[in-house]
Amino acid sequence: MTPLLSLKNVSKTFGHGDHIVQAVRDVSFDVMPGECLAVVGESGSGKTTLANMILGVFGQSSGELWFDGKPLPTRRTLEHRSAIQLVQQNPLSSLNPKRSVGASVRLGLDVYGIGSPSDRWSLVEAALEEVGLPRDFRKRPPAALSGGQRQRVAIARALACQSRLVVLDEPTSALDVLVQARVLRLLNDLRAAKGLSYVFITHDLSVVRNVADRVAVFKSGQLVECAETGAIFENPREDYTRQLIGAVPVVTREEIELRNTLATEGQT
Amino acid sequence: MRDVLRIEDLVLKFRGYTGVTEVLHGISLNIRAGERVALVGESGSGKSVTARIVLGQLQELRSAQVQGGLYFEEQDLNRLSRRQWHALRGTHMSMIFQDPTSSLNPVFTIGVQFTEVLRRRDPKLSKEAAAKRAGELLNSVSIHDHARVLNAYPFQLSGGMNQRVAIAMALANHPSLLIADEPGTALDVTVQAQTLHLMHDLVERTGTAVLFISHNLGVVREFADRIYVIYRGRIVEQGPTQAVFENPRHAYTRALMAAVPRITGGGVPEIQDMDGAFFDPLEVHGEDRP
Repeated sequence: MTPLLSLKNVSKTFGHGDHIVQAVRDVSFDVMPGECLAVVGESGSGKTTLANMILGVFGQSSGELWFDGKPLPTRRTLEHRSAIQLVQQNPLSSLNPKRSVGASVRLGLDVYGIGSPSDRWSLVEAALEEVGLPRDFRKRPPAALSGGQRQRVAIARALACQSRLVVLDEPTSALDVLVQARVLRLLNDLRAAKGLSYVFITHDLSVVRNVADRVAVFKSGQLVECAETGAIFENPREDYTRQLIGAVPVVTREEIELRNTLATEGQT
Repeated sequence: MRDVLRIEDLVLKFRGYTGVTEVLHGISLNIRAGERVALVGESGSGKSVTARIVLGQLQELRSAQVQGGLYFEEQDLNRLSRRQWHALRGTHMSMIFQDPTSSLNPVFTIGVQFTEVLRRRDPKLSKEAAAKRAGELLNSVSIHDHARVLNAYPFQLSGGMNQRVAIAMALANHPSLLIADEPGTALDVTVQAQTLHLMHDLVERTGTAVLFISHNLGVVREFADRIYVIYRGRIVEQGPTQAVFENPRHAYTRALMAAVPRITGGGVPEIQDMDGAFFDPLEVHGEDRP
């Protein structure tokens, strides 16, 4: 199977002269169709820089990106742009407060020329329904929606334009646990139903454990470990991964035990 | 043991254009000296307004109506003048906020803000003495390059560093009560863990009582001795942390716990929609609830 997205020795540097910051160094990984790859690491580890390169916000300094078996140019075509979509962390600021929810979702359809203009409102309503919102929400301003509902709108917006890869940049860290569980479930269901691939950026490893197929661990711009989710949690190779797992606040006794065993293994 | 803080049947209403909205429907809680108590709930449940009422800030708002007993170290807070209440803040009770980069003043250096805090207790404190004392306090939160930090503006420091500075400032005047409103939420997981450990050790050493406000059950389990679960302006469950986590009794507490994804796996938890049982009073407290 050809990977949907593949990064080959990608690096990104910012600044010039004496003030060079190497945000991403020599990173290679693949995302298969239908797969959810979690990208984890502390703030400043290059997660968001990576997302921006995948989305084409800016180009890489060196290395190559491939999408669906073809090289991905820095100047994206409309087709690429509609196929790779983003859901941001904070739904309060990612939706335009002056546009109705429906208009926000429709904008993508207009830009990418999806459907005929007369059909687009019904596509918008269908997209809203898919994420579990009533059709008549299309006329509401974002201010009339709760945080969880707004995040659903952001997801509908990303899916309405027939995307194949969605970059989720901390999609649930601004939400409460009960809402988070519902949104994660929705994301899982949509992925299964539509065969989407996710690049799931987060620093919450307990979420990763339950939604990702594979995990890529980043530390200061480098990919330190990339493996199946089960392997990462049961048998992490890197001390840094252990530290990340050890820092997760946990609720049940079994989790505390898992953390303790990881910590003692790390010392030996 | 004596209570540092006691809240009795606290009711909060907001007057708005559409009439009066009741936000807190009579909550009661108490914190003993040196105890770490957590108030857990979702956004909008009334956690932060409770903290603001204890500090006396909401009472200054014209649209807010506050009723109920507030006792801090055996004095009735409701009888204090604004001036007396003001004198308590920053000395006998202090607060740490969620986002340290916005709770510190961006136009003054850390050193200047530290001096201001220290002079609240001792107005005649000299600049040099303040700097020395600030240095000691920074040591206690594991910041060792004092000169750099004291001369820096908040935006020149990282989020974790700022939060540690905020903790040092909050504890500078040896308050008997510290209110921490989601102190780790704005930080990433590793930094959050370090910061909370530090805060835990520090309050243990100084014997400061803490009201810890959070929506993160994992954090609460590690930090608090006793927890109160708040749902839509009502306390639905309370008890020692261990007991509540091992054996949650209220439907809402159980839902809240079930919703946390586990690092041991098991998939995304299934959540029922708003359950009517969330509003059921807990049988053990049945008699004192409407």
